[in-house]
Amino acid sequence: MPGDDHLHNHDHSDVPSDLALRVKALESLLVEKGLVDPEALNVLIDTYETKVGPRNGAKVVARAWSDPAYKARLLSKGGKAIAELGFTGRQGEDMIVVENTDTTHNMVVCTLCSCYPWPVLGLPPVWYKAAPYRSRAVRDPRGVLADFGVTLPDSVEVRVWDSTAELRYLVLPQRPPGTDGMSENELAALVTRDSMIGTGLAKTPSTKGST
Amino acid sequence: MNGAHDLGGMDGFGPVDPDPDQPVFHAEWERRVFAMTVASGFLGRWNIDMSRHARERMDPVEYLSTSYYEHWLHGLETLLVEQGLITSDELAARKAKLSAEAR
Amino acid sequence: MLKAADVEQTLRKGGSARVDDDVAPKFKPGQRVVARNLNPLGHTRVPRYIRGRSGTVDRDHGVFVFPDTNAAGTGKSPQHVYSVRFEASEVWGAETGAKDAIYIDLWDDYLDPV
Repeated sequence: MPGDDHLHNHDHSDVPSDLALRVKALESLLVEKGLVDPEALNVLIDTYETKVGPRNGAKVVARAWSDPAYKARLLSKGGKAIAELGFTGRQGEDMIVVENTDTTHNMVVCTLCSCYPWPVLGLPPVWYKAAPYRSRAVRDPRGVLADFGVTLPDSVEVRVWDSTAELRYLVLPQRPPGTDGMSENELAALVTRDSMIGTGLAKTPSTKGST
Repeated sequence: MNGAHDLGGMDGFGPVDPDPDQPVFHAEWERRVFAMTVASGFLGRWNIDMSRHARERMDPVEYLSTSYYEHWLHGLETLLVEQGLITSDELAARKAKLSAEAR
Repeated sequence: MLKAADVEQTLRKGGSARVDDDVAPKFKPGQRVVARNLNPLGHTRVPRYIRGRSGTVDRDHGVFVFPDTNAAGTGKSPQHVYSVRFEASEVWGAETGAKDAIYIDLWDDYLDPV
């Protein structure tokens, strides 16, 4: 686009291949020196690309919606309650769960880097790690929510949690109306990733098919 | 340090792109950078705070004009070189060799 | 070197930055605090936007490794981390949404009593 040249005075098509070469060079050196096991890299990638993701968190939320005693444990000792469902480990060692209600809406950010609860949500989406979200979530949370199509009444207090330490935050979204009698599996299908970061709401049954 | 990473409250980055269908990784090199960073952490030569600081020390103009896994790549290279596990010359030479082979 | 066979268990185990040291907290929930105006050249986790602002301790998370010294390789300096609530109007000015708030996790060494 004309006018963008001053910002991007390089050929975009060269960028990925140059990066790809730089990364290949690094990996080949590390393997040669016995510092990384390429097969371990494959397992790491497969774990976070196909195994660990927001479906884990959705199970936690669905359980909390279905079982008041579990919900109480989740809000008081988040990590232990999440571990009951088998989700533990790296970047989820010390979990805090915050509950959305009619009067309070919680939203999570990491302004300094990209801290995120991996065992329950997997790796963060691109927008969570990028400058627009990290800069604005603390200053204009309602404007950010509008980017996600979410508008909250002024009567609702928005609480933004900036993950500056090693605590990792999961939002417990509100159970949508019209879900009485649903099984945990049916409920889990309504729980979106964004609703557990606090940039979205859980789906209602009538909008189940949309994002 | 008052680096470019400390983004809270800055203006002008534009709206958030909330596309729900974005993949975890956008290219193979991102996968390898992610995994090499996690794996190298277990060498026991640095801790998570040193690792964050290595990313924060990136030139601020570069930090703001590159993608997330480029920050990780920069951080990993910095730590490996500072710890004497690789040298910048080795890295440049290996890249040149792979580049020549790819032609 | 991390081997492929050990990846799953290693990830599952994780590595908490929480430490068992018996360190007394300097603050308690409900107490008014101010984030110190610190500008170290090294690593720190007190964001610029909160320095010099006053808030209220919401909860005490317990004792954790201190990032500033841990990044410098000068020790873990174990100390309490608190979630501190700052009103949006305190941070961004009176014209900002009065009801909203920011909760930030801050270590003892980042805080002074008001």
